[in-house]
Amino acid sequence: MTAISGEFRREIDALGEVFAFLEMFSDGQEVDEKTAFCINLVVEELFTNMVRHNEGGGDQITVSIERQDNRVLLELVDTDVEPFDPETAEVPPVEAGIGERRSGGLGIYLVRSMVDDLNYGYEPEGRRMRITVAKTLEN
Amino acid sequence: MFDIKRDEEDATISLHGRLDASQVDAARAVFNQVTESCEVDFAELSYISSAGLGLLFGTQKRLVDGGGGLTLINLSPHIREIFQIAGFDNIFEIG
Repeated sequence: MTAISGEFRREIDALGEVFAFLEMFSDGQEVDEKTAFCINLVVEELFTNMVRHNEGGGDQITVSIERQDNRVLLELVDTDVEPFDPETAEVPPVEAGIGERRSGGLGIYLVRSMVDDLNYGYEPEGRRMRITVAKTLEN
Repeated sequence: MFDIKRDEEDATISLHGRLDASQVDAARAVFNQVTESCEVDFAELSYISSAGLGLLFGTQKRLVDGGGGLTLINLSPHIREIFQIAGFDNIFEIG
């Protein structure tokens, strides 16, 4: 099927609109509850990461989503930003006790743990960052 | 939508709805007031992201340093899995 896309304000407060967009997709595609939860979390973590770390970027972030057979494909595009590859983000010491843990780094770690595939691309012309994710449906 | 309630005895904090990055400040206002061990009831919470996890972690770290801690109850299977991936099942008492 053709992907559906939405453009969202580069603000944390735009998350409600992002979730409404994802819910419309999940309901329409009869995505199971566990996968829908995962899609919400993955998009929130990547979206908030772009808002917080790509300061000075364009006004909007584009989120696209489509279903291909038993997989959901996601794409987030941010423009006029510096390159930042989430694959290079530090892995938090999740086996450590509370004394050795600190807050931070969890979002990207959760994303990497929950999806089948995560790819990052950067186009210097247009300073465009593109993150694509594939997630197999749970049911 | 997200809502948070603290009972009169300050023994339980109840979370309702979706705790995402846009709602975490409302939760922080309540958790910042917590100075002693208490339960956090997840029965009506349908979603949490790293923003909420970070808030719970910071609260737990502060309480553990003082000899206390949070006990988390009634986590849904999806949320429990997030806690396991994050390694938070080693950090919190989960009932």
